[in-house]
Amino acid sequence: MLTAVKNQIKVSFLSTRYALEREMLNKVTFITNIIFMILNNSCFIVQWIILYSIKDNIGGLGFKELLLLWGLAAGTFGFARFFCESAFNISDAINKGTLDNYLVQPKNVLLSYITSTVQVSCLGDMLYAYIMLFIYGITVKSFILFTFFCINGALIVVALAIIFGSLSFWFGRVELVADTMNSLMVNFATYPDGIFKGIVKILFYTIIPLEFVNYIPIRLIIDFNLNSFIIVIAVTIFFISLAFIIFYQGLKRYSSSNLMNVRI
Amino acid sequence: MRKYLYIYKSEVMTNLQYIVDILVGFISYCIIIFIFLNLWNYIYSDPSELINGYNMNQMIWYVTITEILWMSISGRKLCRKICNDVRSGNIAYNINKPYNYVEYSLFNHLGVVTIRFVCVFVLGIAMGIIFLRSIPSLNVLQIAGFLLTCLLATVINILLIVAIGLISFFIEDANPFYWLYSKLILVVGTIFPVEFFPGVIQPIIKASPIYVVSYGPARLFVNFETSQFINVIVAQIIYLIISFSICHFIYSKGVKRLNVNGG
Repeated sequence: MLTAVKNQIKVSFLSTRYALEREMLNKVTFITNIIFMILNNSCFIVQWIILYSIKDNIGGLGFKELLLLWGLAAGTFGFARFFCESAFNISDAINKGTLDNYLVQPKNVLLSYITSTVQVSCLGDMLYAYIMLFIYGITVKSFILFTFFCINGALIVVALAIIFGSLSFWFGRVELVADTMNSLMVNFATYPDGIFKGIVKILFYTIIPLEFVNYIPIRLIIDFNLNSFIIVIAVTIFFISLAFIIFYQGLKRYSSSNLMNVRI
Repeated sequence: MRKYLYIYKSEVMTNLQYIVDILVGFISYCIIIFIFLNLWNYIYSDPSELINGYNMNQMIWYVTITEILWMSISGRKLCRKICNDVRSGNIAYNINKPYNYVEYSLFNHLGVVTIRFVCVFVLGIAMGIIFLRSIPSLNVLQIAGFLLTCLLATVINILLIVAIGLISFFIEDANPFYWLYSKLILVVGTIFPVEFFPGVIQPIIKASPIYVVSYGPARLFVNFETSQFINVIVAQIIYLIISFSICHFIYSKGVKRLNVNGG
């Protein structure tokens, strides 16, 4: 069992590595993509500098904590999109029948599929995340926790993308729903949860679980608490398990489109 | 000109077929407005308080209008299309047609924007009225003037995005330049009025495209002044000429470098 898991992880990393090497063929484009993504994210610092010149504390966060939130959000989505880019296109793959290639491989279909492409610009997101951590104040503890929560948050984000995308097994073209849910996560993630009230707070604990992706982790990096840490891990395991269950239940309904294509 | 109007009309007709998809796509718009509504609600302890000359309702209307202008443009799609046309060699099919690629891109995309603008404008105004229970009072002439500035802002914005897309002639992927452009417009022009920036930066922003594609029309909507209207229109005409010239310059230089392999 453990050997099988180890092998699968090895194959997934190899898949990511080959996808990255493909993207690195054009070095100028590769580097431009990364640098511009960092600049792109940096633009938003201007927004917060202005807002913090009006008010010292926004939604319970000071300026440095806000930068940390931005960093964690960028890191989370960066890790998710870099290692598992295809998870965000799963609905399209189901509808077009392009999962065929992965069904015939003697490896886990879902993991093989989601790690088949990378989004290079997300390396910029990941670098930006650590720049923000550096500005916040890097220590061994904050570095370890930050990296852990970036990966943990990425797992939840990918799991949700799989869950929403897999709805295509039952309902056909649901790309818009899946894309909307993904953009909901991105749009809310960079604002402090303290500015929201009412039903949005409930959404943050349920279908847009940003409390477990960003907000609780930020509080844990600032002031560690074992109970909250365990809750975050438990929620992550729940979403990952749910993603696997929904995908494999749906896969039983999958039918090929007879689309001929070649993976290079 | 007639051929471009025909291109525009056919694009409008095509987009009318996908009206439901377009409407669903505006969920993001609603989310953004909702976030800013919460944010400004939090920052303004009293809705009538003035921050840099704007009360809370004016700030939210400002963001609503700038977001309408920005969301209706669908700039990422346009930039990506032009980049792909150049990279894939598809542009060869446009070069041998009896029209200019720059004008074709402009009118073709205007067809996309028209439907999007109408939908998001209705949605934005409806959201503003529902959440704020008030709307800036403008007379018919002022509304016409405001809509004219919106039209010019849209045309200039499209031309600038076309110019960015055409950079693909020189480097393979111009999309990163678009990200930077979009974030500059978004952060400096969409989220805050110019008055929120330090005094030293304000003249620079007012001389930049941000003034004509974002700040100008939105400022007129929240507080219409005839002198401001004339300033915006004059600046827009100047920028229209500049952006049009830049597009043609990049295109004429770039198309000479084009190397398409048949197949």
